[in-house]
Amino acid sequence: MAIDGLIILDPFGHPIIQSGFRSSPPAYPLLHIDAFNAALEKSARGSIDPVLFVHSLEYDASSVCCHVKHGDLRFLCPVTGDVDPLYVFAFMKTFIDILSEYLGNISSETLKENFDVVYQLLEETLDAGGHPSTTFPNALRDIVLPPSMLHKMLSVAGVAALAAPIAHGQPFSSPIPWRKMGVRYNNNEIYFDIAETLKATVNKNGAASTTAVWGRVDSNCKLSGTPDLLLNLAGVQNLNDCSFHPCVRIQRWTRDKQLSFVPPDGRFTLMEYRYTSGSVQQIVIPLQIKANVKLEESSSMALSSTDFQALRSCSSLGTIDITLVSRLTTRSLDNVVAQLYLGESATGVNMVATNNSSWSFDSKTKTLSWHIKSAPASSSFNLRGTVLSQKYLRPSRAFRVTFDINQHNFSALKVEQLKMTGELYKPFKGVRGRSVGDVEWRW
Amino acid sequence: MATMRAPPRKGENFELSADLNSEYRDKRKDAIKRVIANMTVQKDVSGLFPDVLKNMQTDDLEQKKLVYLYLMNYAKTQPELVILAVNTFVKDTDDPNPLVRALAIRTMGCLRAEKIIDYLCDPLQKCLRDENPYVRKTAALCVAKLYDLKPELVIENGFLETLQEMIADSNPMVVANTVAALTDIHEAAIANGSATDIFIVSNTVLNKLLIALNECSEWGRVAILNALARYETQDERESEHICERVVPQFQHANASVVLAAVKVIMIHLRGVRSENLIKQMIRKMAPPLVTLLSNPPEVQWVALRDINLLLQKRPDILSSEMRVFFCKYNDPLYVKVEKLDIMVRLASENNVDALLSELKEYASEVDVDFVRRSIKAIGQAAIKIDEAAERCVNVLLELINTRVSYVVQEAVVVMKDIFRKYPSTYEGVIPTLCANLDELDEPEAKASLIWIIGEYANKIDNADELLGIFVDTFTEESYPVQLQTLTAVVKLYLRKPDSSQGLVQRVLNTATKDCDSPDVRDRAYIYWRLLSTDPGAAKSVVQAHRPAITLPRTTVAPALLEELIGEISTLASVYHKPAETFVGRGRIGADALPRKGTDLEDDQSTARKAFQTVAAGQQAENLLNFDDPTDTQQPSGLAATQVLAATPAAANLLSGNSSNPLDDLVSIFGNTGMGSTPSQPPGGGLSAGFGGLSFGGAPVSPVPPATPSVLQASSPAPPQPPARQQTAEEDLLGLF
Repeated sequence: MAIDGLIILDPFGHPIIQSGFRSSPPAYPLLHIDAFNAALEKSARGSIDPVLFVHSLEYDASSVCCHVKHGDLRFLCPVTGDVDPLYVFAFMKTFIDILSEYLGNISSETLKENFDVVYQLLEETLDAGGHPSTTFPNALRDIVLPPSMLHKMLSVAGVAALAAPIAHGQPFSSPIPWRKMGVRYNNNEIYFDIAETLKATVNKNGAASTTAVWGRVDSNCKLSGTPDLLLNLAGVQNLNDCSFHPCVRIQRWTRDKQLSFVPPDGRFTLMEYRYTSGSVQQIVIPLQIKANVKLEESSSMALSSTDFQALRSCSSLGTIDITLVSRLTTRSLDNVVAQLYLGESATGVNMVATNNSSWSFDSKTKTLSWHIKSAPASSSFNLRGTVLSQKYLRPSRAFRVTFDINQHNFSALKVEQLKMTGELYKPFKGVRGRSVGDVEWRW
Repeated sequence: MATMRAPPRKGENFELSADLNSEYRDKRKDAIKRVIANMTVQKDVSGLFPDVLKNMQTDDLEQKKLVYLYLMNYAKTQPELVILAVNTFVKDTDDPNPLVRALAIRTMGCLRAEKIIDYLCDPLQKCLRDENPYVRKTAALCVAKLYDLKPELVIENGFLETLQEMIADSNPMVVANTVAALTDIHEAAIANGSATDIFIVSNTVLNKLLIALNECSEWGRVAILNALARYETQDERESEHICERVVPQFQHANASVVLAAVKVIMIHLRGVRSENLIKQMIRKMAPPLVTLLSNPPEVQWVALRDINLLLQKRPDILSSEMRVFFCKYNDPLYVKVEKLDIMVRLASENNVDALLSELKEYASEVDVDFVRRSIKAIGQAAIKIDEAAERCVNVLLELINTRVSYVVQEAVVVMKDIFRKYPSTYEGVIPTLCANLDELDEPEAKASLIWIIGEYANKIDNADELLGIFVDTFTEESYPVQLQTLTAVVKLYLRKPDSSQGLVQRVLNTATKDCDSPDVRDRAYIYWRLLSTDPGAAKSVVQAHRPAITLPRTTVAPALLEELIGEISTLASVYHKPAETFVGRGRIGADALPRKGTDLEDDQSTARKAFQTVAAGQQAENLLNFDDPTDTQQPSGLAATQVLAATPAAANLLSGNSSNPLDDLVSIFGNTGMGSTPSQPPGGGLSAGFGGLSFGGAPVSPVPPATPSVLQASSPAPPQPPARQQTAEEDLLGLF
């Protein structure tokens, strides 16, 4: 396993920060940056294979470059040898998570401002031999201080545990690698956030071709000492494919479907799961769309034959008429956004949206977006208008609709009971549910 | 004042130097940060070395780290300066604070300066036995770095033995890092040609690893799982035991842990004979694989490539999960392409309707490349599932009726494959296809339609008229179209000699006189000679029975597949190629060396077998069985090769054509991969291989005693196969 190093590129393809690359020739990171930038330039719409093969000048020294995008930054990991790319991607994800925890928003500015912290983090998380080492945030905070501003803010906000690192005994002496020793809080509280994402594709006839709910239980733990928790969830029998934070005792889960764990301090993701509609329960998509998209210069003529080329030169017009109906009966749908990619040739849009909704057209991405701040139960909205285009209009065949529902879970997963042993105090518990939808609606 | 004395260009460094020597702590620390900032933007701050070094002895851990960072950066270029710091390093490894001890030993390992290395051994010895696990773990990794620089030092100091002992450490983090270090050393030793195994995963080690597995960090788990993959089990019970202990890792949140666990189980399942347990394991494998698809596209892609490989080995893993692989319109193309491939793999009679309606949907999307691949997938489904062929043809007809140029062309290519698989079943479609003749402008589509016309010449009334169009523009067409036209006209002539005498005369004339491609000209000569010498022979050659095509169950040779399955969750499994073909330098696959020998043999035997198959035309029914290890027909195949090779005809056949796919075939099986173009999708090269194979399959009926006349007319016979092979190759290429 050898991750040779990490390079962070700014939006213009210049390196902002790169790790030491001590066991590689000096040109090695440059070679990867060039290879990546060259590939990016060549590809249409920035879609390049995530595992890029990089030829080397030397024979027999080829390597690959794994890369991900975060915001407008690119993270590259050059890799030599037969390494699991997922291992590399997992490391990059972990590193990005750690960075956002330390810096908040990651941008080229914040990175440059806090380069000393970033370098320290790099040194601690990625060993020079290419092995990720300390990545548990709890353990990291012991050895790398968060940037001073954040540090001060945290101490003002009274998060004592964060503000006083290495105050208690020796680092890494904790018998539980994900939890640090001697944590103290005045108010002992633990919060659970059950967040679900509905991903669905709906066919022209309104029938769903795929539906799946991906859920996760995030937790924010502010408990003193070493609490041993036992969490009972209602509705777990409907979940398939659960995966857990390393703190969860899997044997216990397999036996009784209970979550028994000693939590890390602070924020962490306790479990992730998938929920699919079974024979008993069906996942209902909480909205309905009726779309009428007409492309002028009737399609049969425009596409009839090889003189398709000739028709391309003349301008064209399309009309769109969408109606969106909420199927929820008690709750409202929030932040509903319907987007349609209109194709490269689209030049302008003229729409009328019904009350409480607005539309916009991004001429760069050629995307029409329709925003509905809040759609009350059983309400109906409409958007209609025309699209102008230089050439024959080729919009994408599906709308992408995203929305939020507060206080709602598709899987009906609930926290039934939380028991704590190992400590004497009584913790305050809080549970929230939240759902997000991401539906592809074909027309 | 300071700036006045220094030359202007050195101004900043001079200021920094003053600050580094400041009496105020904050000022010094700030100066160090600025030095590092300059260093990272490639400004030369090496002149400040002595000033920075003065700040190394401090209680402030952060400051110490920054100074170390500076030292590491200049150690490579200015080792003589770093020597000055050695004493501080050695002293730091005795510091009461374990973080300082670990930091010092880690930094010393990274300095990579010869002179420092000699001072490293004593502190390292001490740190390996430190009371703090963090220091022990750091020291363990340091041994691997030392081995990289000076292996003899590691061996002399007995560090290897120490590491072996550390596998029994009470702290799982130390165990995991020790395993990682040992694996690194093991691989480095093998890359340097060492014959001895440095890291032997023995039975006792196994038990310790299994215990540590559940308690260490995600990265440690991957290291341990990789070590477990190398373990050679003694008996079935042990294999079962490993599988059972590893299965809980499927529920880890980290995707690389999941895939590493999948690898271990796939490897150790080879030793399990209980069908029940195998089934159970395979069933448990499905959910975590599906979960991988909730990740960002990069991870999805890697996961999909691995799933694709797993499905080739165990098609039953995800049989009920096809819908998970349906494409979203905003998926990146690289993800869509993999998903399509997997959807076809999972297609069965039960889900083919859902698949078809989905594929039809994709065929109306904007992205031309994706549309074409979707249409190809429809054809693959038709060939895979007999019962669904008619539904597939109907979908294709609907698509043809959209009259979108590239859709029609792709559909025509796909239809040709369906005609090959189900001869004389869908003749009703032919008029629709011919109606679109004018719209075809791509050589592949044209060639496909011409093939269909030639094949069904006796059922198409105006076949001569249609082919005449292509004969008129013969010289303007691309070579594949010319070849197809030639063959199709000859087929037409053999079926309707009366009406097409003129046409065949014309095409042979043009092809032999005006055509600049030697292939086309040669083929025309052969047909001409054949037709004039013995029309009966021509008939049996041109209208020979064609072997049925099937959808390859695997895209790689079975022997290679088995190897790749053992490397699931590595680059090899992502590229579907053995690691040796694209990875150089040092760290190659863990057990590459011992395996290489057997590989070579495998390759040779694969190549030999492929040859036998080609020459003898055996197993024409199933193109894929060519190197099936259980093949019992091998002796006869070999015998046939020898007999055939003795005849001049076969010798010609084997050596005659340089552009012959046989060469591809040989090179493919000669080095088990397409090393020179690693980023090319693996299908291409292999399909050429299959093309070559089918050419071996094709002549089976005309050559044997069934038509002795052909063998007598030995000069025209041998070069004939290329004609057939061309067709077959194109057919199969169309499939990929």
